[in-house]
Amino acid sequence: MTNTITTYIEKEILNSPDTQLTDQDDLLGSGLVDSMGLMRIIAFIEEEFGIAVPPTDMVIEHFMNIEAISNYVLKRQTIDG
Amino acid sequence: MNFSWPKEYTDYRERVIEFAKKELNDDALIQRDHEGIFARDLWDKCGKFGIQGLGAPTRYGGSHEEVDILRAAYAMEGLGYGCKDVGLTIALNAHIWAVQMSITLFGTEEQKQKYLPKMASGEWIGAHALSEETSGSDVFNMKMTAEKVDGGYILNGEKRLVTLAPIADVAVAFANANPKVGKWGVTAFIVDKTMQGFECQPVQHKMGLRTVPLGRIKFNNCFVPEENRLGKEGAGFSISNHSLEYDRCCILAGKLGAMARQLDEAVAYAKSRQQYGQPIGNFQAVSHRIADMKLRLETSRLMLYKMAWLKKNDKPAMLEAAMLKLHLSEAYVASSLDAIRVHGGNGYLTDFGVERGLRDAVGGIIYAGTSDIQRNIIAKFLGL
Repeated sequence: MTNTITTYIEKEILNSPDTQLTDQDDLLGSGLVDSMGLMRIIAFIEEEFGIAVPPTDMVIEHFMNIEAISNYVLKRQTIDG
Repeated sequence: MNFSWPKEYTDYRERVIEFAKKELNDDALIQRDHEGIFARDLWDKCGKFGIQGLGAPTRYGGSHEEVDILRAAYAMEGLGYGCKDVGLTIALNAHIWAVQMSITLFGTEEQKQKYLPKMASGEWIGAHALSEETSGSDVFNMKMTAEKVDGGYILNGEKRLVTLAPIADVAVAFANANPKVGKWGVTAFIVDKTMQGFECQPVQHKMGLRTVPLGRIKFNNCFVPEENRLGKEGAGFSISNHSLEYDRCCILAGKLGAMARQLDEAVAYAKSRQQYGQPIGNFQAVSHRIADMKLRLETSRLMLYKMAWLKKNDKPAMLEAAMLKLHLSEAYVASSLDAIRVHGGNGYLTDFGVERGLRDAVGGIIYAGTSDIQRNIIAKFLGL
């Protein structure tokens, strides 16, 4: 899952396949991912992992880095069944 | 694929059109537009009919069991068709979708109980306080702060270009509660007129939409209790984004209705106005212009219905919202100019009521994300 998310962000959001993100790289605070990028990431994880991200969950703690996104997806998969 | 609407929806839309034609079109509109006067009496009539109630479930004073964006968009199209006061329809939609719906979607039970019934009835008027002097298109780069204190937050800052600000009883206001994380610290608060330091400023005059007041709101050491924070800290982006998608859908639905009315009026005029011994609609220079108006109307309509369907089904709609906002608002400007051309000299006269359409339309390519910002969003979604 983490690799899938990382690849998507590097290729589709950053448009830079040569970039190598770590799980801890600050995506939002650093400005690497802007608000539109976040919306695209949310659309991607919803489709890819079969979850629904409620609007109330769109906060920095869930999307600040790849590790946080992966943990959030796992949590939603448990909730959504 | 099914392009038909359920009878329940079409019946409701017809009732809205009938109500709007009968109750909302008075002889004072041209004067109100000239002087920039908001028709509170018409607002109250809408409240009694249940228009404001479209943005809340019945248990919080709404007009239907649950909020249904498809029904609401279709009804708003009817309202825009029947009501010639476009400023009033903008005011209603700004209140319902940007403010009321934010509370419906993100509010606590206590917040819903406290605010929604008064807003759904029209008794209280709500404003969405987001833009600032130095943050327009870059809206989340705001200066307004929310300092955490014992029991709540202290808000300091000033919002501008706020629809309904001069007469607002309550506002959903956005401030940064954690500037260290930039825009991700933006948080929403429900602020009402009972709170000290919440100051609504006088009307600012503008080119069009003069019947809906626009102005500034100052927050001067305004203490907002913790229970009035809307959503989590840092949820400002999500709240704004979601409510704006509803807002765009229904504000644009009102404009779609206005475009349909504009088209009907242009066709009627082209059939009745005689030049060179025949109706001007016989001349292709006129009829082709009206054909273009029809094309803009129908393409806008398809995009709007799709957008409403996506929202109704909880599907992502940021791209579709951007495309709809761009297309429909630009189409409304183009068709409004065409309507003036069809009406010739009469179209240029204020008393004829056609030129007001163009002035009212122009705001749409600026507010709630300019046309160029919509193009940016579309391009981003294409990976550019």
